[in-house]
Amino acid sequence: MRVVKINAIWCSGCLVMNKIWSKVTQKYPIETLNLDYDIDYEEVSKYNPGEVLPVFIFFDNDQEVYRVIGEKSEKEMFEIVQKLGEYYE
Amino acid sequence: MIYLDYSATTPVDEEVLNTYIEVTKNYIGNPNSLHKLGVDSKRLIDAATSSIASILKVKENEIIYTSGASEANNLAIKGICLKYQNRGKHIITTELEHSSVIAPISYLQSLGFDVDFVKLDENGIVDLEHLKSLMRDDTILVSIASVNSEVGVVQPIDKIASIVKGYPKAYFHSDITQSIGKNKIDLSCVDLASFSGQKFYGMKGIGCLIKKGKIVIEPLIHGGKSTTVFRSGTPATPLIVSLAKALRLSYTNFDEKYKHVEQLNFYLKEKLSELDILINSNNYCVPHIVNISLFDIKSETMLHALEQDEIYVSTQTACSTGNYSRSVFAVTNDKERASHSLRISLSHLTTKEEIDLLVSSLKKHIRELRLG
Repeated sequence: MRVVKINAIWCSGCLVMNKIWSKVTQKYPIETLNLDYDIDYEEVSKYNPGEVLPVFIFFDNDQEVYRVIGEKSEKEMFEIVQKLGEYYE
Repeated sequence: MIYLDYSATTPVDEEVLNTYIEVTKNYIGNPNSLHKLGVDSKRLIDAATSSIASILKVKENEIIYTSGASEANNLAIKGICLKYQNRGKHIITTELEHSSVIAPISYLQSLGFDVDFVKLDENGIVDLEHLKSLMRDDTILVSIASVNSEVGVVQPIDKIASIVKGYPKAYFHSDITQSIGKNKIDLSCVDLASFSGQKFYGMKGIGCLIKKGKIVIEPLIHGGKSTTVFRSGTPATPLIVSLAKALRLSYTNFDEKYKHVEQLNFYLKEKLSELDILINSNNYCVPHIVNISLFDIKSETMLHALEQDEIYVSTQTACSTGNYSRSVFAVTNDKERASHSLRISLSHLTTKEEIDLLVSSLKKHIRELRLG
């Protein structure tokens, strides 16, 4: 599973989700590419992140299969990853 | 022009500006220089520091001048955490903090610090029981603003401080930017407090970090002698003296100014109740901020419509990407309401006539925009 994660340093929702994502990646082997909304602007704009952060974009090879936008609870995030895990299998 | 965005920044007071100009012209010496011109500048800074200390009831050596509240917040947060990281790496804050609090905490999280957010109750006030449950032996910093900038909720910083005091390794920092000059604040309970002069009719480019007693912080700027070792750089004599002036002026006739704003707040809310809008600011908010929601009209659309009538208000804090305001959501538990909010911020300079013009402009634009 490969994920592009778009954050901003000033975004409190991103700060909350960083902690949750760290727990998720401790359990599941997910390759994560962290992009900074402001610093990696050119790269970020390729993904059309919209106005709500953070954004998690899940890829199957180079194909986007799912997108999580904004803050989610730890439970929701684990459920999403589990469901996507089944898809990848 | 009707300016109702005083929580974003305030126009500089004429007396403050004159002080700035006079000091710029007449005190050209570097306060670190040993000659007469330097000594004169240093004396002036010392007098300004003494005046600020006396107003805020802190010690002179507890005042660190910065370029503004953002730098002061960064200095407090990174300064404490980097200095005391051997004692623990746990930080507690709220989701309603300004980006200059969230960003340094995010940075520290990337260095391995653990961050927890304390819950807020239905009025947007810190849940003290939850705070107690989050406190740990390795907690080294609790950072919570005294007044929220979007809806104006006042936090019980004395109660928060007394919880933090139970943990000797932990320090309590409060961003008091939206309090200072608005409501009287007792700094005796906090370890660190940050503010900026531009929120109380001072010059832009000057702020302060109050750092109590023997607390040591890691400086962000290392360099030569200044007014303190914790923030190097040639002291900005005109800005420092004008900051003291602005603070003194903001505390002059404080009660009358507060009462005037309180009366305007009641008047505005009464007038707004005649319109089809919702008021988000509650009874726990400073009277200077009235946050409202317009369900079917985008806040930016209304902001620009009011702008056509030369009336200036704010949408959610400009630096918060997201489709809703966390602060409004905290007090309303309604994402729809939180995504259509406008902040009207009042001052002792605001008049009833300005409120009348705002309300009639809102009424006109609501009708026009709903008719499409």
